[in-house]
Amino acid sequence: MHDITVVDLSRLQFAVTVLYHFLFVPLTLGLSFLLAAMETVYVVTGKAIYREMAQFWGKLFMINFALGVATGLTMEFQFGTNWSFYSSFVGDIFGAPLAIEGLMAFFMESTFVGLMVFGWQRLSRGQHLAVTWLVALGSNLSALWILIANSFMQDPHGAFFNPTTMRMELDSFTQLVFNADAQSKFVHTSIAGYVTAAIFVAGISAYYMLKRRHLDLARRSFRMAALFGVLATMGVITLGDALGFVAAQAQPAKLAAMEGLWQTEAAPMPFNLIAFPDQHAQDNRGVLQVPYLLSLLVTHSIHGSMPGFDTLQTEAIGRIEAGIPAVQALQALSKDRHDAAALARFNAHREDLGYGFLVQRYAPDVGKATPRQIRQAARDSIPPVAAVFWSFRLMVALGLAMLAFFVLAVLYTLRNRVQERRWFLKLAVWMLPVPFLANEMGWLVAELGRQPWTVYHVLPTWMSASTHGVAYMVFSLAGFVLLYTLFIVIEMVLMVRAIREGPPAPGAGAAYAAATPVAAAPSGYLED
Amino acid sequence: MKTFGYFLLFLLLAVIVIILAAVLGDLGAWYFAWLVGTVMIVLVAAAGAALLDAQEEQGSAGPRPRAGPGSGQG
Repeated sequence: MHDITVVDLSRLQFAVTVLYHFLFVPLTLGLSFLLAAMETVYVVTGKAIYREMAQFWGKLFMINFALGVATGLTMEFQFGTNWSFYSSFVGDIFGAPLAIEGLMAFFMESTFVGLMVFGWQRLSRGQHLAVTWLVALGSNLSALWILIANSFMQDPHGAFFNPTTMRMELDSFTQLVFNADAQSKFVHTSIAGYVTAAIFVAGISAYYMLKRRHLDLARRSFRMAALFGVLATMGVITLGDALGFVAAQAQPAKLAAMEGLWQTEAAPMPFNLIAFPDQHAQDNRGVLQVPYLLSLLVTHSIHGSMPGFDTLQTEAIGRIEAGIPAVQALQALSKDRHDAAALARFNAHREDLGYGFLVQRYAPDVGKATPRQIRQAARDSIPPVAAVFWSFRLMVALGLAMLAFFVLAVLYTLRNRVQERRWFLKLAVWMLPVPFLANEMGWLVAELGRQPWTVYHVLPTWMSASTHGVAYMVFSLAGFVLLYTLFIVIEMVLMVRAIREGPPAPGAGAAYAAATPVAAAPSGYLED
Repeated sequence: MKTFGYFLLFLLLAVIVIILAAVLGDLGAWYFAWLVGTVMIVLVAAAGAALLDAQEEQGSAGPRPRAGPGSGQG
């Protein structure tokens, strides 16, 4: 039997490492394509300023990339160390995209990053541009495979549970890859990275304009970031809507948590703009609603409706009762894999196996589960509503703020007036933490909303963890927090130093080449 | 011959894009949208930079004299 404290500590440890890691990843995803855009202009126009831009932002990209890799490595090991039952149960499916991600990240992406950094003097312009594009493609494709693996946890497709091997097995790679959740989540996350990079470049460029330094680089970078950012923000919002639409079909409990929907309501449903969900009372306090809006947002129709937790909990009770015979049949099959009657009973109830596991937490012998234990297990099927509800609202609010910022940024920069708007330049600097916060909120919505499952409707979180001791988990968690905080501090120090130093003055190529890894040639690299 | 080579290259690119659109469009509209959208976002950002260069060159050249009635541009 699992110690729930160990399960919670395992969850906390994974959450902490992911939240740290996810501070670095989106910037890598987006900045790589912005570098490709800058270098494309350099190759097309031949103007040295764009190479200077690509090299300067490339230096910041490398600081972020290195720390992103360092923080990401431990996460994949945690599946084995802290989530061993999960790894055994779904490893056949989950392992494939993770292995491809490893190949993408460590072979394709890292190889081309090396060529991008050290290849300025060794490759032709066209070759170097191709390398930069491949870095961008490689980093985003490695994110694709992680998100395909994650989407299997959110909405499992392309696999079935084999009662003989007691594991899930992959039966359709196509369904795994083209899962609707994977598609919308990959594009949403990737483009959120573009927004992050655009705010990053715009904010630092605004800082230079405020200080009246590196104006040629800053104004061009700001222009490119503003256009890149406004389109990307529109894309993020569109894909956020698509992701919600997919979740309404596949994860109704997550969507109900995002909307604080305790009771099923008839269409057209109002949207809870502000509410304070009370998990114990299963109700909201201090509600401010916008009529009709929820039906439109979730179903794209004013006549659409979705179930609240009252309906979902009733359904969960029915599924738990149907899942109990599946668990019993599985126990019989574990003793005798040739038991035909047990196999037939399992196949009749296999869809509800995961719900049978839910009640096993309270009744190890599921056949003796009481109605009270079944109701308790059904109550567990509700994710932590207040955290999901407010993370979602904060993410959306920050997304809309970034859209407004970029619309203004495009207006000012296209009129070539952005330097005159000092208040706006100051705002751009203050916007720097906003996309990072929005990204973290998005991750919380996705993963807290998946609870109480590691694999939705299939495997509960409580039985997925390894059987470590509490002391071990506390010790390793403290170690991760200290180490990763150190990484953040290192990133901030290196970034601030590189930003203060800025790009080299025109004609200072030799000194810069000696001081930075992005240009290896001794002199003349700024001259064209 | 060079023009014909470019013609073949762009024709090949067009065929690849159409096949990708057909396959990915059926299997997953959002993957295809990402491919097209990312290229578009990058190109718009690049065009913005080129426009800034043009604005600066125009600005440094000073205001252009208005075309007279006989200049053929009016």
